[in-house]
Amino acid sequence: MNKRDKIFLSIIFAVYFIAWFISLKHIPPMDEAFSTLGHRWVVNIGGFAFNPATLINAVIVFLIVVWIALSVREMKLVPDRKQSIIEWLFDTFYEMVEDTVPDPRFVRSTFVVAMTIFMFVWVSNMLGSFPGIVFTGWENGKLTEIGIFTDTWQVPTADLNTNLTYALLVFVISHAFAIKAKGFKTWLKGWFEPNPIMMPMNLIGELAKPISHSLRLFGNIAGGAILTYIFSYMVKYFLLPIFLWGFFGLFVGTIQALVFSILAIAYISAQLT
Amino acid sequence: MDKMDLAQAIYLAGKAIGAGLAMGIGAIGPGVGEGNIGAHAMDAMARQPEMMGAITTRMLLADAVAESTGIYSLLIAFLIIFAL
Repeated sequence: MNKRDKIFLSIIFAVYFIAWFISLKHIPPMDEAFSTLGHRWVVNIGGFAFNPATLINAVIVFLIVVWIALSVREMKLVPDRKQSIIEWLFDTFYEMVEDTVPDPRFVRSTFVVAMTIFMFVWVSNMLGSFPGIVFTGWENGKLTEIGIFTDTWQVPTADLNTNLTYALLVFVISHAFAIKAKGFKTWLKGWFEPNPIMMPMNLIGELAKPISHSLRLFGNIAGGAILTYIFSYMVKYFLLPIFLWGFFGLFVGTIQALVFSILAIAYISAQLT
Repeated sequence: MDKMDLAQAIYLAGKAIGAGLAMGIGAIGPGVGEGNIGAHAMDAMARQPEMMGAITTRMLLADAVAESTGIYSLLIAFLIIFAL
């Protein structure tokens, strides 16, 4: 760390300290601060309930992923830093899929599914590791307040709808691949193994997969955001949120994105054996 | 806090006790599981120190899967406190 970095960091810390000192007067009492916790902004269009905060943030995540894709579209023979990171990531994933999936015909498509899910979930989790625009709703779903830098972003992965969509996608894809690989009759017979009495157990076991798959990611990201909010309130937003965002956002977010895509690979390959 | 009648008091007490029990009992399983994972990872690292990097990443992955039941109970506790 040279002298310029030290001066820069001291200025940032001074601004942070002054902002904290000013905001200390405006912090609401505990029951008022926590009364809107967990209430989302919901819009009803033709009988369907939409969550606009999730849609807006999903578009932001898509734009970031597309920007990453466009910036490495022309592969150079001598890679620069960004290209080598992307190459390393894709290579690691491809080797993992190759080791796990037994049928070589499905390696490439499984890799595409798992990698797409990983990119979306990881960028979304990273977005959830710093403060941003927060839409606060009330019980009837009406938008009451738009806050900027009051809480972490309401990222798409902190909403069960997104995670359940991806988990069901993996569930359907795994069974479609199984039908394609083994044929319809062998796939149907797989439900009645080892004997027909076990059919309900197999059914419940299969249906439990997407539920646990989606709830794990949702619980980690949404629970991390709520815990960060509560702990930050208890120290009046002074310094601790940075460590909480570092842990719940960067560390847990990366690990959960990895776990989500690895489980997707494992579920698909379990159907192919 | 202003004065509340008996029904409200019982409702509030049930909420608090339920959330506490959900989180406390639900944290036993992940605690035991993650302890096991950590202990065996330490064993493996002591036996083969050159594998430390690979063991650490797999240990973290196994931790993330083992703590999922704890995360479910955290969700239930939040639901009880804020949504019930």
